[in-house]
Amino acid sequence: MGSRRSIQTTGDDHLIAAFAALAITVHIAESALPSPFPGVKPGLANVVTLLVMCRYGWRMAAWVSLLRVLLGSVLIGTFLSPAFFMSAAGALASILVLGVIYGTSQYLGGWAVGPLGLGIAAAMAHMSGQFWVAYTLFVPHAGLLTVYPVLMTLAAALGVVSGLLTRGVLARLNSTSTAS
Amino acid sequence: MNTKPHTRGDAVVMTVALVLLATLYGLFWQSDGHGAEAVVLVEGKRWARLNLFQDQELRVPGPRGESVIRVQDGQVRFVASPCPTQQCVHQGWLSQGGEVAVCLPNRVSVQILASDPRFDTINF
Repeated sequence: MGSRRSIQTTGDDHLIAAFAALAITVHIAESALPSPFPGVKPGLANVVTLLVMCRYGWRMAAWVSLLRVLLGSVLIGTFLSPAFFMSAAGALASILVLGVIYGTSQYLGGWAVGPLGLGIAAAMAHMSGQFWVAYTLFVPHAGLLTVYPVLMTLAAALGVVSGLLTRGVLARLNSTSTAS
Repeated sequence: MNTKPHTRGDAVVMTVALVLLATLYGLFWQSDGHGAEAVVLVEGKRWARLNLFQDQELRVPGPRGESVIRVQDGQVRFVASPCPTQQCVHQGWLSQGGEVAVCLPNRVSVQILASDPRFDTINF
């Protein structure tokens, strides 16, 4: 019977879904880790975003990142909580910064930013986004600004880690795809 | 996308990140000297900024007359006021970041500045 219509999906949709699922898994695993600082996470889920962007472009990376934040929060149970808004603002900021770098990279030639730079930029943008939400919406106290440089330093360091991880995974993916 | 180890773009991003971090520490980590300065407002507008370690006496003109504010040994207080209740004078010496004395009739206030004030708000 032709009354049930199925939604047409493309190969891109499937890739987005698969990578989003991977990112959500990492996101949830990471949320179980204790953190010395509120708002500081290793950002391993962001490695998935960076990988997708390096291999499939910014548009897909944006989908994966936003789906991860949305569905990850539903699964952890923080949806619409302060943590969710901070996380969403962080993801948006980081996706925007990555978009700017991605959009300009074709004009940069030999100056194009690699995974390491992307990791640092994404992590610092993420931290700024979530800090901005925390500061304007939840704790508008000038004392909070004192920790901002510290948080940004941690973000930069963790950005280096996620950037290096992304580079390592990319190198392996590229070597297996050329070997086979 | 470039996947070579270190690209020049990475170096640029790292340099920008370091400059940004240095700027942030400069902006948000200046030593506030814990109440080393006070601000005097007249009718809601900044009238003077005082160094609390520079002893002085100020005559602040308000709508009702002159309020006299004294700075001494890292503290500040109202010593005279043209107002009827003299609450600003009775407030006494202020030294902690965030402490404030207000003369509502003469619309003069003095508050100790600090980036990490000891008090968020003060009620009477």
